[in-house]
Amino acid sequence: MTSNTFSVETENLTRKFGSFTAVDSVTFRVKPGEIFGFLGANGAGKTTTIRMLCGLLLPTTGDARVAGLNVYTDSEGIKQRIGYMSQKFSLYEDLTVRENVQFYGGVYGLNRRAIKTRTEELLTYLQLQDKADALTRELPLGWKQKMALSSAMLHDPPIIFLDEPTSGVDPASRRDFWLLIYQLAAEGKTVFVTTHFMDEAEYCHRLSIMRDGKIVELDSPEALKQQYNAVSMQDVFLKVVDRGAHE
Amino acid sequence: MQRILYLIQKEFRQILREKMYLGLIFGMPFVQIVVLGLAITTDVKNVPMAIVDYDHSMMSRRMARAFGETESFNYKGHAASSAAARQGMDEGRIQLALVIPQHFERDLKRGRTPTVQAILDGVDGNSAGVALAYANQIALKLQRDWLLQSGADPRALQDMHLVQLETRMWYNPSLQSVNNIVPGIIAVLLMAVTAFLTGMAIVREKEIGTLEQLMVTPIRKGELIIGKVVPMLVIAFLLFNVGILAAGLIFNLWLKGNLFTLYLLAMIFSMSTLGLGILASTVARTQQQAMFIAWFFMVFAMLLSGFFIPIENMPDFIQAITYLNPVRYFMVIIREIYLKGTGLMLLIKEGLALLAFGLIMIITASMRFQKRIS
Repeated sequence: MTSNTFSVETENLTRKFGSFTAVDSVTFRVKPGEIFGFLGANGAGKTTTIRMLCGLLLPTTGDARVAGLNVYTDSEGIKQRIGYMSQKFSLYEDLTVRENVQFYGGVYGLNRRAIKTRTEELLTYLQLQDKADALTRELPLGWKQKMALSSAMLHDPPIIFLDEPTSGVDPASRRDFWLLIYQLAAEGKTVFVTTHFMDEAEYCHRLSIMRDGKIVELDSPEALKQQYNAVSMQDVFLKVVDRGAHE
Repeated sequence: MQRILYLIQKEFRQILREKMYLGLIFGMPFVQIVVLGLAITTDVKNVPMAIVDYDHSMMSRRMARAFGETESFNYKGHAASSAAARQGMDEGRIQLALVIPQHFERDLKRGRTPTVQAILDGVDGNSAGVALAYANQIALKLQRDWLLQSGADPRALQDMHLVQLETRMWYNPSLQSVNNIVPGIIAVLLMAVTAFLTGMAIVREKEIGTLEQLMVTPIRKGELIIGKVVPMLVIAFLLFNVGILAAGLIFNLWLKGNLFTLYLLAMIFSMSTLGLGILASTVARTQQQAMFIAWFFMVFAMLLSGFFIPIENMPDFIQAITYLNPVRYFMVIIREIYLKGTGLMLLIKEGLALLAFGLIMIITASMRFQKRIS
C-alpha cells in the first residue's frame, strides 16, 4: 500500500462497542478528487466509520490511513488535513455569521489577515454579505449548512468528510449544496459523504452500500444499476436491503 | 496561543449575549448574602420561656425580672404549675421553663442551696445548650448580687475567692454568626460558579455538537481547556468581588486582612473546583447530568467544610474525611483573613493543601478530557 496515491484507505477496519460490532472489517480506497458516497440505513455504521477516519474514535482492529497518515498514531496530523461536518449543526447559533467564521478561522490557526480575507471571500461566495452581522440562528437551514461546510474548510484541507450534510434541508438547497460539493471535487478535493437521499447517491463518483456494519456493494452508480438491473439508485438500494433481509 | 485567544473571545461574546450571566454575576451574590446571611444564624435570641414560681417571694420575682431583661429570652410570663409549663412546651409556645421551688428565698437566706429546675425543649440540641448556658449565666450573676447584699462581711467574701469569669470575645466581639457565615457564603459562591459554569459551558457544546466539531480541528486539548476555563475564572472573579462588596454594604462586614492574599488563595482554591467542573463534563452527556454530578460533590464539600457545622463537633472518622475536602481549607482561609486579618505566612499550610488538591484535580481532569468521543 503506497500511502500517497489514495486520500483514504482502510483495511479490515473494525469498531466494536462492547459485544456490538458497529463497523465490521471494512476495506476500501478513495482517490483524490473523488466524490465517495456512503449509503446505508440508520445504524449501518456510516457515522462510526467517518468518526474513525476523522480521529474522533479509535478503531478496535484493522488499519486506516487518511491523507497518508495512520489513524492510530497521527490523528492530530489528520485533523490538519481534513474538513469535517457532522450530522449535528456545528456553528454557534448565538454568534453572528462573521463571528463564527472568525472563530473557526482562528481555531484552524489562520492569521488575522488570512481570516479577514477568507471571511470576505466566503461571505461573497455564499452571498451572505448583508447577513454577516445577523445571528446565525436567524439563517435558513440551507444557508447554515453551506456556511458550516465553508467554515469547516477555512484551512483549505484536501479531504472533506460530510456526515449526512443535507438532512432536513429543502430540495432546492440540497441541489445548491451538491453544486458546492462538485466544485470542491473539481478543485481536486476528496469528498467523502454519507447520505440517505437516493437522488444524491446518483451524484457520487463511487458508492459503497453498508449493511450491519459491512460494506456489501462498492462501485459506481451506473455499474450498480446495471448489476441490479435497476433504473435508479433507489431501486438498487431497496434490492440490496431486501437481499439482506432474506439472508 | 492564538487559538486560545480566539476561544476566549468567542466565550465572552456568548456570555455577553446571555443576559442570564450578567444577572448571575451581579444579582446572585447580593441575594445569597442577604437571604443566607440572615437565615443561617446560630445566634440564640428570644428563646420563649416561662417561669413557674412556687415561692412568690421578692427573690423569685427578681429572678423572673432578670430573665425578662435579657435579649436572649423572651419572657412569656408565669405558668401556674409545672404541668402548665409542660403543656406550653408541648404546644411549642415555650422552649424553656424555670421552676422556682417553694421556700426558695427562705432557703437561700438560711444558707441552704435551693435548686431551680430548668426544663428545656431539646429538639434543637444546639440551641438548647446555648440557652442553658445563658440561663446559668443569669443565675450566676444573680447569686453574686445577692451575696453582696447578704450583709456578709465584705472581707470574708473576699477571702472566699469567688471566681469571676470576665469573657472577651475576640475577632467577633458581638458573637454574631453573620460574621462567620457571610465569608462562608462568599466561599460557597465561588465554588458553585467555578464548578457549575465550567461543567455546563463544556457540556453545552457537547449537546449542540460544536464540541465534536472542535475536536476535529487541530486545536490542542490544553488550549481547549484553557480557553474554556479562563472566561469562567474572570466571571468567578467578578462575582467574588461583588460578594465582598455585598457583605460590606449589607452587613458592614469588611475584609480585615489583605485583599490580594485572599485573591491569591481564592485563585488556588478555584483550581480544585474548576477541575471538578471539567471532570463532570467528561462524564456527563447533558447539562443536567453535569449539574447533578457537580451538585452531588458540592453538597458534601459544603457540609464537610465547617461552613455551618463546626468540624470539631463531627465524629472522628468524619473529621478525618474533611481533610480531603479542599473547601475545608478555604473556609478557614477566608474566615481568618476576613475576621482576623491573618497574613499569608500563617495560612501557608492551608494554601499548600489547596495547591496540592488543585493540581491533582486539574491534572486528573485534563487526563480524562479527550479529543475523542468515548
